[in-house]
Amino acid sequence: MRPSSFRYHKAESVDHALELLARFGEDGRPLAGGQSLVPMMNLRLAAPEHLVDIGGLPLTDIAFTDTAMRVGALVRHRQYLAEPRVAHHFPALHEAVTWIGHPTIRENGTTGGSLSHADPTAELALAAMLYDAVMIVRNTAGERRIAAADFFEDAYVTALQPGEMLVAAEFPLPPVGAAGAFVEFAERRGDFAIAAIGVSITVADGRIATAAIACSGAEPRPIRAPEIEMMLSGRPLTDPQSRAAGRRLAAAIDPVGTFLTTADYRKALIGELTARAIDTACARAASR
Amino acid sequence: MTIDITLTVNGTARTVRVEPRRLLADVLRHDFALSGVHVGCAHGACGCCTVHVDGTPRLACLTFAVQCDGKAIHTVESLGGVDATHPLQQAFSIEHGLQCGYCTPGFLMTLAPFVDAMVAERRVPEDAEIREAMSGNICRCTGYHGIVAAVRRAVTEQIETGSAQP
Ligand SMILES: Cc1cc2nc3c(=O)[nH]c(=O)nc-3n(C[C@H](O)[C@H](O)[C@H](O)COP(=O)(O)OP(=O)(O)OC[C@H]3O[C@@H](n4cnc5c(N)ncnc54)[C@H](O)[C@@H]3O)c2cc1C
Ligand code: FES
Ligand code: FES
Repeated sequence: MRPSSFRYHKAESVDHALELLARFGEDGRPLAGGQSLVPMMNLRLAAPEHLVDIGGLPLTDIAFTDTAMRVGALVRHRQYLAEPRVAHHFPALHEAVTWIGHPTIRENGTTGGSLSHADPTAELALAAMLYDAVMIVRNTAGERRIAAADFFEDAYVTALQPGEMLVAAEFPLPPVGAAGAFVEFAERRGDFAIAAIGVSITVADGRIATAAIACSGAEPRPIRAPEIEMMLSGRPLTDPQSRAAGRRLAAAIDPVGTFLTTADYRKALIGELTARAIDTACARAASR
Repeated sequence: MTIDITLTVNGTARTVRVEPRRLLADVLRHDFALSGVHVGCAHGACGCCTVHVDGTPRLACLTFAVQCDGKAIHTVESLGGVDATHPLQQAFSIEHGLQCGYCTPGFLMTLAPFVDAMVAERRVPEDAEIREAMSGNICRCTGYHGIVAAVRRAVTEQIETGSAQP
């Protein structure tokens, strides 16, 4: 199918984009990489009256300060893989990006688009939860910062209001030496995940000091697993009891079955992926 | 609403008047008469419509033509002309990388930059890397083995003959 009619506006600057978005309110939408919005428009699942093309705006840098990595909204997925400091500081994020779609999608899809689209199993949304990223959101009145945990509200629903635009996502740098892993299961290579797990750990004296675990596929948005995180801290890297952690998470969640997978299958899958992700992160930490 | 846009398609700049809702794939097929741009699914799932926008592969069905004002577009027609002389096209022919041919322009436009990058590195990729590179393209005929073999051949032959030296 083909999209219905709309009016097209090319944003010449961030301020121009914000003015246009303020003017159109509910009827306007940013167009970034188009890799999620255009399929929805072609299928007539979305029919915005005004598209504000932000694809050319210079929000295309991955920048590092002493305390954080700031990813511009127009950073293409591929850029994470080309920047060695991403893999160094955020190994689970780096690994997650390799699972986003296919090379052509990674060339054109953007961070702002993926986070704003908020697919329940989007890899970047999970990574934002895992690493406690902060969304930097602007409108014509100013800027606000929204923690990832407050940003993703439901499937395809975020805290963004009409007239607002995500300009960057800020990832606080984990302590030096943090290890991580991301594992996913999808029906075919490049498909959206059925479920995925990200793990990030800090280490002291051969043991897990702190752990973060994020999970997609359990709820309509990515979640953290604070109980499992507590359980892991203090465990030796050589015996993190990952199976028990996986079973505990599987027992705590209440996923909805789909035409593809039953709820029980999802629970079993998430338990298994959790164990694998913990084992991989610990093995990586131990081998350094 | 219609907008005048200038596209440089396969090296020739032309201005066309389009409705914003028109997909780049349709504008290339209908306004530029480039029937090598194939539309399989029109929602990003099959890779048939892959073209290059300013040198980067992109799905022409997930692109509005108005987004490409001032940009350079290359379609499969620019690869090796009607005789399909490009080394990757030749390798597809030799290795039975196509049957009905519907998916072929998309595979070629997706894989040509990958082949160039491998030749520049002087490295023959593992089959798993080739399969990852073409994972966004669907072929209902060949079963993919011939396509993997074609990529391997195109890279190997160009490295051996020393063409495309960095
Ligand atoms: C075949 C295929 C496979 C894919 N596989 C995956 C996958 O495995 N995992 C995955 O995560 N994604 C996948 N995607 C989606 C891809 O990652 C998209 O790039 C991403 O979801 C959206 O980014 P975009 O830049 O294309 O956004 P667009 O499609 O341009 O926009 C998406 C939505 O976000 C809004 N928006 C865009 N930018 C902003 C902004 N800065 N501020 C506020 N709102 C904004 C738009 O208005 C729209 O509602 C796939 C896509 C395709 C076509
Ligand atoms: S027609 Fe564009 S991806 Fe299928
Ligand atoms: S050759 Fe027929 S679809 Fe690929």
